Amino acid sequence: MSTRMLDVKDLAVSYGMITAVKGVSFNLDEGEIVALIGANGAGKSTILRTISGLEKAKSGSIQFLGKELTRLPAHKIVEAGIAHVPEGRRVFPRLTVKENLMLGANIVKESSIIQQRLERTYQTFPRLKERQSQLAGTLSGGEQQMLALGRALMTGGKLMLLDEPSMGLAPIIVEDIFRIIKEINEAGTSILLIEQNAFLALQTASRAYVLETGLISIEGNSSDLLKDDRVRESYLGA
Amino acid sequence: MSTLMQFLVYGLQLGSVYALLAIGYTMVYGIVGMINFAHGDFLMIGALSTFFLSQAFSSFAVNGTYSGLIVALIIFVAMVGTGLIGVSVEAIAYKPLRNRPKMSALITAVGVSMFLENFPRALPFIGPSPRSFPMLFPAKRFQIQGVMISTTQIIMIVLSLVFMFILYNVVNRTKIGRQMRACSMDKDAAQLMGININRVISITFFVGAALAAASGIFYASIYPQVDVYMGGWLGTKSFIAAVIGGIGDIRGAMLGGFIMGITEILATSVNSNLGYAIGFVILILILLFKPAGIMGKLTIDKV
Ligand SMILES: Nc1ncnc2c1ncn2[C@@H]1O[C@H](COP(=O)(O)OP(=O)(O)OP(=O)(O)O)[C@@H](O)[C@H]1O
Ligand SMILES: [Mg+2]
Repeated sequence: MSTRMLDVKDLAVSYGMITAVKGVSFNLDEGEIVALIGANGAGKSTILRTISGLEKAKSGSIQFLGKELTRLPAHKIVEAGIAHVPEGRRVFPRLTVKENLMLGANIVKESSIIQQRLERTYQTFPRLKERQSQLAGTLSGGEQQMLALGRALMTGGKLMLLDEPSMGLAPIIVEDIFRIIKEINEAGTSILLIEQNAFLALQTASRAYVLETGLISIEGNSSDLLKDDRVRESYLGA
Repeated sequence: MSTLMQFLVYGLQLGSVYALLAIGYTMVYGIVGMINFAHGDFLMIGALSTFFLSQAFSSFAVNGTYSGLIVALIIFVAMVGTGLIGVSVEAIAYKPLRNRPKMSALITAVGVSMFLENFPRALPFIGPSPRSFPMLFPAKRFQIQGVMISTTQIIMIVLSLVFMFILYNVVNRTKIGRQMRACSMDKDAAQLMGININRVISITFFVGAALAAASGIFYASIYPQVDVYMGGWLGTKSFIAAVIGGIGDIRGAMLGGFIMGITEILATSVNSNLGYAIGFVILILILLFKPAGIMGKLTIDKV
């Protein structure tokens, strides 16, 4: 029996008059990769942004390792152990690759740990080491995605929230990125994954939730969902 | 030639005032994305509080001059005090509006400026009338190759360069500097790195206001008169300096400040009205030929 890592209950989030998330419940156990899939505007990014404190929940609760997150500011949530790789990567364009990574370790005080994580990150992404003194804004899309993942690794978070890591990348690079995501997971980091590419998401995750305009419509094991008619029709293009 | 050098000395002196003030405009713009129209008033607060501090320390003065240690203490207290006022202004007036349309913050800043000028004006022990600023720096003058230069000028220029050097290195080489640069590029991503952006913004206001105080002390040491409105037009000129240099860029603010100071002195020597106008002339030229300013890079504003 593995421990419950993330427990989201009846979460609702709105932007002014628009309610983007209308009471969503889901969970994730330690060591899992869980996917959230859904069409554009379904509310996937909003959920991740609320978990990491960038948006405020209107109602509902988010428990992470038994700790309530909904009232914590974003920087405290990072300290609690959540690393969010945001939609569109959001690397700091006019900082170097290395400076970006060092910002990932912003919450870490001991320089020996920072050094250790930097080495591990460079091992995972040798490309980042080659480019360490290059400005992040000049990297290719794939490299920026690697940097965003590397930055999240540097935080030392136990749970990674990945928002569309395949966005805008060539298939070969997507394959690369997803191989690394699985490696990161095997090394002990749990992952909540958002993906437009539902097939890829279901291949990577053990379980998935399907989000439709702010509500979860289907949930289950990935292998079951891959066979589900509604999923196949709406999200797998079959 | 020596007249030109003489103007250069005056220009650097005035330029250091503009540069120190321009830094605050540019840092706040770079990190918070707003133009703090009340920034010039921090200069006034710095100068006025120095006036009162030096009165409080008047028993230490010998023949109207203070020892270096006392002057350093007065300047330090005035800078820290003004810095804290800057932090409070942000916390009380600007922070609640941070996620509102930019226009709200702009209008608020105009209101804050009116408050900062008129509240002390209404206080009986401050009031509207100008005061004569004490001599903080020794008034020795030297002549080097026909160029007159005073100790005050040397101290001002050197001290402002030291402040700028420290600031530049803090921003580019320290952890808090890296956090500042991250916040200026992407506040959401900065928070996801565990950066407390409220803290970074407070520190930014502190530094900006403290440097504005230094700028006010320097200005009042050239033109030894202080009153509650002195921050207004000095603020405007320094804001122009920040735009000329490229708003958001610290080196740009420094460069813009010195360009403003030097050209103003040169233009004034030709015609005193031209001295007032030259800043605007340069501004228009810069906006025509390099709209983002000398150091600035044009970026698309995402709304
Ligand atoms: N800052 C905002 N202000 C107002 N409405 C917003 C904001 N961000 C998102 N929304 C709205 O909330 C809804 C959910 O958006 P969200 O970004 O969470 O969707 P998503 O599932 O991540 O979509 P995508 O696949 O396109 O990234 C959408 O209708 C969107 O228009
Ligand atoms: Mg999204």
